[in-house]
Amino acid sequence: MKIGIPRALGYYNYYPFWFGFFGSLGIEIVLSDKTTKKLVSEGSALVVSETCLPVKIYMGHVLNLLNQKGVDIIYSPSIQSIDHKIYNCSKLRGLPDLVRNVVKKDFLLIEPTLDKSEKNQGLYQYLYESVAPLGITDKKTIKKASKVGWAYQNNFTGMTRDGMHPAEAMETAIKGKVVIKSRKNNYPINIAVLSHGYNLYDNHVSMNIFKKLENLGVKAHVSENLSVEQMNEGLNVLNTSLYWANELEISGAAGSFMTNKNIDGVLTLTAFGCGPDSLMVERITRYAKRLQKPLLNLTVDEHTGEAGFITRIEAFTDMLYRRKRSNIVQNLNKQIKIDSERQEVVYSRDNIVKV
Amino acid sequence: MGNLAIGVSGALKVLGADVVEPPYTNKRTLSLGAKYSPEAICLPYKLVLGNYIEAIEAGAEAILMIDSPGTCRLGQYSNIARTALTDLGYNNVEFVNFDLYKGKLLEIYSGFKHVTGNGNPLDLIYAVRIGILRIKIADKFDKLLHYYRPREVEIGSADKRYKKAISLLENALTVKECNEALEFGVQSISSVEIDSEKQVLHVDITGEIYVVLDKFSNMYIEKELGRLGVQVHRQINLSDWIDRSLYPSILRFSESHDEKTKRFAREFIKRDIGGDAVESIGDAAIAASSEITDGIIHLLPFTCMPEIIAQNILPNVRNTKDIPVLSLVMDEYTGRAGFVTRLEAFVDLINRRNRLPQRRCNASCDILTV
Repeated sequence: MKIGIPRALGYYNYYPFWFGFFGSLGIEIVLSDKTTKKLVSEGSALVVSETCLPVKIYMGHVLNLLNQKGVDIIYSPSIQSIDHKIYNCSKLRGLPDLVRNVVKKDFLLIEPTLDKSEKNQGLYQYLYESVAPLGITDKKTIKKASKVGWAYQNNFTGMTRDGMHPAEAMETAIKGKVVIKSRKNNYPINIAVLSHGYNLYDNHVSMNIFKKLENLGVKAHVSENLSVEQMNEGLNVLNTSLYWANELEISGAAGSFMTNKNIDGVLTLTAFGCGPDSLMVERITRYAKRLQKPLLNLTVDEHTGEAGFITRIEAFTDMLYRRKRSNIVQNLNKQIKIDSERQEVVYSRDNIVKV
Repeated sequence: MGNLAIGVSGALKVLGADVVEPPYTNKRTLSLGAKYSPEAICLPYKLVLGNYIEAIEAGAEAILMIDSPGTCRLGQYSNIARTALTDLGYNNVEFVNFDLYKGKLLEIYSGFKHVTGNGNPLDLIYAVRIGILRIKIADKFDKLLHYYRPREVEIGSADKRYKKAISLLENALTVKECNEALEFGVQSISSVEIDSEKQVLHVDITGEIYVVLDKFSNMYIEKELGRLGVQVHRQINLSDWIDRSLYPSILRFSESHDEKTKRFAREFIKRDIGGDAVESIGDAAIAASSEITDGIIHLLPFTCMPEIIAQNILPNVRNTKDIPVLSLVMDEYTGRAGFVTRLEAFVDLINRRNRLPQRRCNASCDILTV
């Protein structure tokens, strides 16, 4: 039995869980190819132009699975809410409905719903809906499989919390390993890069931003490196409470990073037309001003050119370097001033002794 | 938003508060709001923020906001507007929230009590009753206007009488006065001279509730369609919204518009995704099953999250149910000329479609329900 999982949206956060869960039930997962320009334009052709980039890419991946990979079962979950009255973005909530209405092909769509605001729509019901169309209905087996899934997911989370890049952590977690690396490199500049996983770790969307930053001598920090408690504190810094299902990874992380002295600047990456981000980034912008943290907002869509993207990142890092240098010089000047004043005092004492 | 101001200001006036009504949304409101809003937020927020700023400039000391969960960005409006207004330096303005997270009636009570200083629950019940009554009467006037506008002989006569009736209603503060205003309005609008021979098209307007109801943000689409000889059927109105959201569900007996749309929309969208997306899709499906409706106009603000899903699904509804659908996206850059051209083209299209042999000619249908 083969099910197709699009390499988009939830893949970047939950794939280790799905891997463990479906794997232990004996279901083979087929992933779509990595995002390419052709794939994006195929996906964009299906939906209206206003739809945000990640959803367009998702549609492209669904088409890729159906056309190139020869899969006729697509797994497309709808995460309605992750806690009581903490809802997701409408586009993610209606994702399977969207797929069903715009993809004109014959295939089986598995569309489980996770809704923690409803009484009977919790995790196990969600998992049941995930595999019931495939003929697995024994609740005990499902529960056991979910434990295997959580083991993979926890390994993944553990490695990212330790500071490993999530793409690398996912590869390692899927092999069933846990690797804790010692970090030796010292970077002159530290930047927090804030965005949703599906924007950052899709190299076509983020245009290899991590490699670019690495080349500029910048250490990139991401929200996955933070613990939930740190991000909750971050929400308090921004004087807000949890509203969106994926608010922690942006607002929460921003609050936490903006109060961290080791972070020199904050960079946000938003897909054009993203609803929750428009509000979260607005809040971050206002608070960055108050907390005096340099901030760069980057908006991407399917027409964004790489050259302009690089230029902006370079300009931002240049500014951070200059700011850091001038801070150092100022501190040195202060030190020299203090030192010279001290020396004067010493001389005068000497003089007194001589006289 | 639509007739909401008539209701809320009425209720507050009954309680003895000095109500500062901001000028009806205009271009200045929009540019003020757009200036201090995030770029990619939807049109309603920009207008609401503009309204707040204009109200404060006109001397308002307290601002009422509604917080409701599980919808869309609407639930964050008050939160983000407060930050924006504080950054603008309006520090001595009080923000009163109707936090629908906590329960409906209690919140309304404490909100009104806070603003007016009048804590007598009986006064409050009366005030809310007046408010709701005023909204319902205004909605009735709207429906009458939709009927008489495309049929009037002298262009503009129905609108003139409508305005007069509304201004009478605005001064009505007791049940008796409201009923008098209703009687006067119905009589006055119904006595407009009409061309009963005229063939009128029927279009249902649906979409995001704010742009559907707010005349400025939908560029007076109802008036424009009336001019083109189209009777507008708008199922989305405030009376319905009030019935749905304020009254406890046990007290309702008949199927509300909301439930009906859900039933019809299930074929296309299985889950509720917040906002008015399910209603939009359901409205289109209902219109397709109705014999008089010739087409659907779907209005949405730019970047509205739920309506984008609806907009994506509507082509499928259009194809399977065979009903013309026009989606119009509104934002601060929408030009009037292009907008009107699109409406004219759409009306031409449904007009021509009606002449096809397989379509039953339904121009003689004369439906008026008040």
